[in-house]
Amino acid sequence: MIVIDKLCYQSKLRYINASEKFVYTVLTLILCIASRSAATAAVVFLVNVYLTVAKGGIPFARYAKLLLIPAAFLVASTTALMVNLSRMPLDAFAFPLGEWYLTGSISSVLAGLRLCGKALAAVTCLYFLSLTTVMTEILGVLKKLHVPGLVIELMMLIYRFIFLLMETASAIIISQNSRLGNRDYQTRVRSFGGMASALLVRSLKRSGTLYDAMEARCYDGELKILSEERPAEKKELFCIAGYELLLLGMVIWSWMR
Amino acid sequence: MREEKEWIVEAEAISYTYEGNERKALDKVSLKLGRGRKIAFMGGNGSGKSTFFLCMNGILKPQEGRVLIDGCPVEYTRKGLLEARRKVGIVFQEPDDQLFSASVFQEISFGILNLGVDEERARNEVEQVIRELGITPFRDRPAHALSGGQKKLVAIADILVMHPEVLILDEPAASLDPKHRKVVRSIVEGLSEKGLTILMATHDVDYTYAWADEIVLLHEGKVLRQGTPRQVCGDEKAMEQANLEQPAVMRLYRRLVQRGILSPEEAPPKTIEDLERRISG
Repeated sequence: MIVIDKLCYQSKLRYINASEKFVYTVLTLILCIASRSAATAAVVFLVNVYLTVAKGGIPFARYAKLLLIPAAFLVASTTALMVNLSRMPLDAFAFPLGEWYLTGSISSVLAGLRLCGKALAAVTCLYFLSLTTVMTEILGVLKKLHVPGLVIELMMLIYRFIFLLMETASAIIISQNSRLGNRDYQTRVRSFGGMASALLVRSLKRSGTLYDAMEARCYDGELKILSEERPAEKKELFCIAGYELLLLGMVIWSWMR
Repeated sequence: MREEKEWIVEAEAISYTYEGNERKALDKVSLKLGRGRKIAFMGGNGSGKSTFFLCMNGILKPQEGRVLIDGCPVEYTRKGLLEARRKVGIVFQEPDDQLFSASVFQEISFGILNLGVDEERARNEVEQVIRELGITPFRDRPAHALSGGQKKLVAIADILVMHPEVLILDEPAASLDPKHRKVVRSIVEGLSEKGLTILMATHDVDYTYAWADEIVLLHEGKVLRQGTPRQVCGDEKAMEQANLEQPAVMRLYRRLVQRGILSPEEAPPKTIEDLERRISG
């Protein structure tokens, strides 16, 4: 998560209008999932990788590593779809297990692969958004979409304070380690408990001071803030519209077949 | 034009006790603070500096006594508090306790929007304060990627954007590197020249001696001494009681006068540099 946050702030696409990127992501995601053809997924996948890596300047090795995380889950869950246990061998493959076969049909294997590709393409959509758009700007878009203020304010505070919490936690852990607090299992457990309670106490105190500081700036129950908006480029909008129409065409075609 | 009162902030015998505490954090503190002055608050931890500051713009309501801003008692109603907080701004000691948004721009816009100005003006004000304080080079970085000094500048911008008349700084130089300490101090100096009243809590005796027009020495919730730096720092008993050393330049100067190297007729120097110049003639 921290890695994604760091990369995102370095992305060359960061200063593109946030709503534009958001709309692109959501439309592509919907079309990618709605489509029945593997070709759509392949196009979506390639375009997203191109945009995020080549245009956004995210190092490819980093990106590939990030993709491997959900890929591992996908492989595990789609194998379950492809493999059957039955008394009769099916057409794709069959491994005998006594009287039974660990087997799969060509159609189920194809369906599994298609699903896997589609899911991976969908993941690249979300990675595109999170690797090019900073959290505070995504919140700005959500606000425009009339997501309740309370939800947005909470998300904003959580995003800000999750980093502070981790900083505090790591400082405590380092100081515990330097006093041999992780010597064996017993001390490790005790140290962890100590850290957790210290974190709670500090967080409570911090929330009290934060509230004072906000009140000192005339806070009256609503977090009023301005967001910075970068204008959307016409050229980019046309590109997005053209691309989404192309995808829509592919989706319709895949449904008619 | 409105008649300008001499005292911008007054405290009349205010007392405050935190819930669950026996000891009074503030014990009948009476102070008159002059408009446009540079006033340093000194005293050990727990001497009541922060509590006093929180009382000054109505975050805390003193259980006894009253606070006057511009000669009018603070009213603890929504409108009255808004007014008090517009006039008196506090920059908190720990920027991480003050910055709530990860975006610098959003963070600074909070205070000014709360004053009810329209978006366009707020945007301009935020841009202006970002330029003035030199925040531009790191304005696009998230709060968690800023250095301590940069966060401090944002914390000051947070308040300045609201154009307060009194600026309270709670140990602004604490845990800053020398470069940022200098930056912060020159910003404070500039604000003071513009006529803002500055209240600053600090432990740095040497800096205070040179900088302040006035020092308030607090000890265990009481005012030990209020006066010019020379009066307060010269009061050895009070300084010792507050666990403070006398400024180096003052001690050195006194010895030099005793030894007959400097004449006692001249006004005592305020800084070491000043003293150096005089000795080297």
